[in-house]
Amino acid sequence: MSSLPQFLANGMVFSCIIVLGAIGLSLVYSIADFANFAHGDLMTVGAFGALVGGRYFEGAFPGADVSVFGLPVSFYLALLAGMAVGAVVAVLTERIVYRPMDAGSIELLITSIGVALSYRALVQLQFGAGRRSYDIGRGGPIDFFRETLGIGMTSRSLVIVTLTFVLVVALHLLLQYTTLGRKMRATSDNPSLAKVSGIRTENVVVAMWIIGGALAAAGGVFLGLDTIVRPRMGFDILLVVFAAVILGGIGSVYGAMLGGFVIGMTHELTPVIPLVGVEYDSAVAFILMVIILLVRPSGIMGGEAA
Amino acid sequence: MSPPDTSQRARGDAVLSIEGVDSGYGDVQVLDDLTMHVADGEIVCLIGPNGAGKSTVLKTVFGLLEPWSGSVRFAGGEIGGEDPADLVRKGVGYVPQIDNVFGSLSVNENLRMGGVARKEGLDETITELYERFPLLDEKRGATANQLSGGQRQVLALARALVMEPELLLIDEPSAGLAPSIVDDVFDDVQTVNDLGTSILMVEQNAREGLSISDRGVVLDQGTVRFEDRADRLLDNPEVSRLYLGG
Repeated sequence: MSSLPQFLANGMVFSCIIVLGAIGLSLVYSIADFANFAHGDLMTVGAFGALVGGRYFEGAFPGADVSVFGLPVSFYLALLAGMAVGAVVAVLTERIVYRPMDAGSIELLITSIGVALSYRALVQLQFGAGRRSYDIGRGGPIDFFRETLGIGMTSRSLVIVTLTFVLVVALHLLLQYTTLGRKMRATSDNPSLAKVSGIRTENVVVAMWIIGGALAAAGGVFLGLDTIVRPRMGFDILLVVFAAVILGGIGSVYGAMLGGFVIGMTHELTPVIPLVGVEYDSAVAFILMVIILLVRPSGIMGGEAA
Repeated sequence: MSPPDTSQRARGDAVLSIEGVDSGYGDVQVLDDLTMHVADGEIVCLIGPNGAGKSTVLKTVFGLLEPWSGSVRFAGGEIGGEDPADLVRKGVGYVPQIDNVFGSLSVNENLRMGGVARKEGLDETITELYERFPLLDEKRGATANQLSGGQRQVLALARALVMEPELLLIDEPSAGLAPSIVDDVFDDVQTVNDLGTSILMVEQNAREGLSISDRGVVLDQGTVRFEDRADRLLDNPEVSRLYLGG
């Protein structure tokens, strides 16, 4: 099952992980105006948060082991726990580290590298440097996809794609049809005007960090579900997430979604490119990013707020 | 759009009083012992040369700059250094000179953002604003980036009116606009005032600004040089020679 449809299916799963990471990174950039290098490790924090949550919820109550779309209910609860941990850690970091600094973009960027190292060190102190998993049976390919499309789509992959779709649609509805969403777009568009219009921008910033942190954590949990959970998992994927954000247009949430999809797909479709080895998957994604930026220097959707 | 609640004051009472205010940016002092006022229901036009501190007055009143000393009182209460978000809720509106609309948001969303602090009546007020400014009604689904300069200025004005402010601070409403559009914008400013909103307006286009104002204040080097009825200032030869281009 290494046909093009299979690579496309794999690309869809990887794209979902990148999209979730890229949205949060772009949200933070659009409001806080700095490239948050701790975002990858925030994904790791979320993944480990879900690991702890999974152990807590596993067998904790009748029905926790009941399977929904091939995964136990306890996993979904663990996902929510991981997202909550990601959101709380993001907000606390903003409150304790970034906000009191009251510094410029470059200083905050450098600080975020230190924050990333701190996240990773704390995770390693608590969980060690080894590999972990969510202790969920792998399961085989779903018959429907194998028979109709000829691809090996597991329950894990299906859940990742479905839940990412749900989260992205929910974010879209929030941004377009709620007062908070409009405030977020307004603050991203013109922070000083938002303030003089009466918007409590500090509350909007907190909402941004909550949403960005929770989505990053969801991306981390899905990465852990698709592969393994380890302390460097978020850091290793960070450059690809950055590529997605830059490709989509820095600061544009919808651009991040599109950029994440393009980069994720390209990453996984590398094996079908003649004469290019699979070990060059990230390089191919970056080359595509460079090519697109040569045509559109501000990214696919650059210049559009939130 | 219902007029602002000014029932506790008689027309002519000061809605804004600035007394002995020093203010500036960092260590650079711009306003020097500034004293002036805006009476209830009037338009006051603040004119003066570049760098006189006109915009600094508005920023100091609106909490974007903290007064170093002196008093800024709105409707009798001290507001110096208060958060702009709180001032909006108290009844002070502000239209910045540039970047005064949310470019990526639709006209309708811009108006809704102008009323985030309202607890009720938002939809009704926006409907009334569409009736008052039909061009906004025609463009309600368009993003502000798609509007012309004049249309953006009207949108900026309307956005500030959603809160039905008692006092509106307008920074150079004619800046960057074609001469043919300037009159329309000033007409809109006058209309806002007719509804009962007191206005403190900074204007580089001094003659035009004074022509729609009740009073004028000439600012130079951060302090008041002349203050009088607008028509008298227009007829004052010294003001005319020094500040109105002869």
